[in-house]
Amino acid sequence: MNRRDWMKRTTAAGLSLIANRWQRSMAEAASVNDHFIRLADIPLNKATSLGASFADFHIMQTDSESLFAREQMVQGVVAESTFGCSVRVLVDGAWGFAASDDRSEESLVQLAESAVAIARAQGGWRRRPVEIEILPAFNGRWEQPIEVDPFAVALEEKIGRLLAINQAATGSGATFCSSHLSQVRERKWLANTFGSHIEQSRVRIFPGASVTVTDPRKNEFATRASFSPPRGAGYEYFRDLDCIGDARLAVEQAREKMVAPSVVAGKLDLVIAPSNLWLTIHETVGHPTELDRAMGFEANYAGTSFCTPDKLDTLRYGSEHVTIGADRTALNGLSTIAYDDDGVETAGREFAIIDRGVFRNFQMALGQAAWIGRTSSNGCAYADSFEAFPIQRMPNISLKPGPDPSVTVQDLIAGVEDGIYIEGNNSWSIDQQRYNFQFTGQVFHKIHHGKLVGMYRDVAYQGNSVDFWNACDGLGGEKTYELGGAFNCGKGQPGQAAPVSHGAVPARFRQINVLNTSDEAGNKTVASNGNCNGGKLGQWG
Amino acid sequence: MGLMPVGITPNESKVLCQRVLGLVQADSAEVRVAAAADQHLRSANNDITSNSIANRIAIHLTVSYGQRSASISTNQTSDAALREAVEKVQALARLVPKDPEHLPPVEPADYDEPIMWAEPTAAATPADTIGWMRPVIEQARAARVESAAYLIRRVGATALSNSCGLFVHQPHTAVGFSMTARTLTGNGSGWASTQVTHAHNLDLTRIAEQAIRKAIDSRNPAERPAGRTTVVLESAAVRDLLALLVENLDRRSFDEGRSFLNSLFSNETSLEKPGTDRRDPIGSHLFGDKATLVCDPLCPEAPCGTHDGGLPLVRTPWIEGGVLKAMHVGRFWALKQGIKAQPSPGNIIMPGDGLTLEELISRVEDGVLITRLWYLRMVQPQTLLHTGLTRDGTFAIVHGKLAGPVKNFRFNESPATVLKNMVASGIGQRVLGGENAMPMHVPPLIVKDFNLSSVSDAS
Repeated sequence: MNRRDWMKRTTAAGLSLIANRWQRSMAEAASVNDHFIRLADIPLNKATSLGASFADFHIMQTDSESLFAREQMVQGVVAESTFGCSVRVLVDGAWGFAASDDRSEESLVQLAESAVAIARAQGGWRRRPVEIEILPAFNGRWEQPIEVDPFAVALEEKIGRLLAINQAATGSGATFCSSHLSQVRERKWLANTFGSHIEQSRVRIFPGASVTVTDPRKNEFATRASFSPPRGAGYEYFRDLDCIGDARLAVEQAREKMVAPSVVAGKLDLVIAPSNLWLTIHETVGHPTELDRAMGFEANYAGTSFCTPDKLDTLRYGSEHVTIGADRTALNGLSTIAYDDDGVETAGREFAIIDRGVFRNFQMALGQAAWIGRTSSNGCAYADSFEAFPIQRMPNISLKPGPDPSVTVQDLIAGVEDGIYIEGNNSWSIDQQRYNFQFTGQVFHKIHHGKLVGMYRDVAYQGNSVDFWNACDGLGGEKTYELGGAFNCGKGQPGQAAPVSHGAVPARFRQINVLNTSDEAGNKTVASNGNCNGGKLGQWG
Repeated sequence: MGLMPVGITPNESKVLCQRVLGLVQADSAEVRVAAAADQHLRSANNDITSNSIANRIAIHLTVSYGQRSASISTNQTSDAALREAVEKVQALARLVPKDPEHLPPVEPADYDEPIMWAEPTAAATPADTIGWMRPVIEQARAARVESAAYLIRRVGATALSNSCGLFVHQPHTAVGFSMTARTLTGNGSGWASTQVTHAHNLDLTRIAEQAIRKAIDSRNPAERPAGRTTVVLESAAVRDLLALLVENLDRRSFDEGRSFLNSLFSNETSLEKPGTDRRDPIGSHLFGDKATLVCDPLCPEAPCGTHDGGLPLVRTPWIEGGVLKAMHVGRFWALKQGIKAQPSPGNIIMPGDGLTLEELISRVEDGVLITRLWYLRMVQPQTLLHTGLTRDGTFAIVHGKLAGPVKNFRFNESPATVLKNMVASGIGQRVLGGENAMPMHVPPLIVKDFNLSSVSDAS
């Protein structure tokens, strides 16, 4: 059966069934709404009566749907729902936390008792008690504005789009093409002993594809992933993307990449597209400026940070061109929400992390502001599930456009004699204090005399975070701004995954260390007349 | 079995599976239940920072109408919730196009009894675990270092059942512990870890001692130039690299021409005698003579479950004396290619030469001791080149002896090359990984020509 036949067969049957697929989730959410204040009183009163100086109660419902297609096969249709609650308490300066999928009144009492008991078990030998600031009480409801609820869209429509992407790719000569669509809805309820009662709902969506071309005669292959980052948005985001056009372009670029000359390692000027730069921002600015990390709270896993509180207002983090701001309010931001998971209102708490090159602020959650002499959290707490202890997570962190709105990526490229224009993110790695990074990309366009002249392969760029941002000497204008992001950024023990967006404009960086990944693997490239021909001396290993 | 979350006993999970399958009207179905009661204890700056308990259950159901399939997952176990989940997934499955690669559920088989359960671990209380952690923190305070640690105690079980009559239930317990010690000046850092099935085997004091010693020994590192050099990789580093290799030993990727094995195998076979079957890398000598990797679910030091999706997992050499012996082969691909399906390994055991770490170091004239790796990411799938960094204790080796701490390095290296270039190995041990949770029991290795690509200022 071809795609068209299948679409015809399933459409009529599908629409009526799909409309009700998430009915139970909606009914359960409505039930919580009706009783939340009464429900929340149970664990909060219990915790308070047992001696908690602070307590909060979270209910979280997560619905997700993921679709996977390979060529003209649908290889995965997976729906997932979780619903549960947790109680967090502060007793004698120690945290306790208990979570369960059982939301009965009896269970809520037990959760409060358990949380208090495990907090109290730390009593007597703490070195420093946990202290938190008093937060204002909020009674609010917030629902992320979206145009089309992806959970209300017929399955066949979504599958049809994925198969069409794959068809476009293989029809253009791809050997293989895989595509996927993931969508998530989080509903959260939060009450705390400050008097807040907050209900929120948000949606995110992540379409993507990857094409592969192979050359069996040479035992070679090349891939190119799509340029479609996840967004805090409804189905309209996927609907309006030109995935077909990108799939065809991806095949063309993968083919070109497979036969492109291998880059010669050395210092080169780079122009980096937002589709690549968002991840560099994430790793070199986002993670280093997490205050809990800087204070040693992540030392056993994610690491610490070069960016310590003594560097506030003094560290020249980037050139004067570089202003990087944080918010949880940006349209379509994956981290966007009205109240964080500590109950801090996010509107009006946007802040600059780097202002015209100078390091100005950390990301903070409840109880952390006092560590750097400030009065209140800037709203960066997040828990990824009902069973997760809220920790500091990234807001949307974005590079501001340059002052001249007319500057295009071509203008930036025109200012490069010999260099590379990099699009799309790929491999990324950075040390545990966020100094030494190494990133690759999807497509590496060669720049010569201010123009794009073909493609390179085997490119990675490597450097030191602060040196890199100080090497920035040009930014695109506001029309070149694009929002990238990560669906699942990891942090914490046990690991938690957080969605986060990073906006960026194309940016130019001078004399960045470029590696040849084939050389790094032990294969030697041969230079020729300033270029390279990709010839290999000696075999791998 | 002591304290357990709902769904963890064989009877409970069997009843739950039957409740779910009893609701299914589709042609075939498979249900997986994973239940766990976890305690997480986390510390930093020599104080506990969070202490949490969580009970959870996940029911994952796949139903099929002919070749149309869909899956659903829920943590709700009421009759109404299960009924709705089944109705929803059946509605989804009816809408999905036929998957030409669809296969019916796995037939029942005989499975070895796993050895992943220890009653004392299951019976421990949250107060017990705080009691385990407290001496470690006090040890760090006494040594005047800042410690950050994470302890997880898990009591869980998985069950798999399907419409072909299969039911298999496997309980497990584990305690994982890792600790980072940092000197007060911040320029010395050490890490150590352990993972045990049986809480009686926990020796957290020893782990804390290792982390503290490395922190103190790694203070004020000198800068050693980057470059290819001989390294001694401690077990924590070895396990992270080998996990990346094993997960890429996939037959279908090879047959489709998009595996690192394609170029590696091509290079090797071009050197071999005519008549070598160039379509099948199994049996080819692709790695160094000392490279042997085995999956052994009943290895007492690092046991794992005895099935993978219903396919029995038994002791299987994957690489033996440098010769590739097994690759993952999915059921569909096995059928299509006329070969036997090979489930993914549940653990990896690498036998060692039995040399102590000191003996390994003594064999290196000029090199680097790497205790742990971090942030490993694929750079070049064609060669399996990965990048990453050293952390928490990196030391120079000169004339067979440790010669002081050196700054950390970024490396660019393929784990396949590591197995080609390994020249000696030590005594196996089970440690936690930075990137992968698979139980692994591996020794430290001496590896020549390891590509330390650049220096990192992180300490």
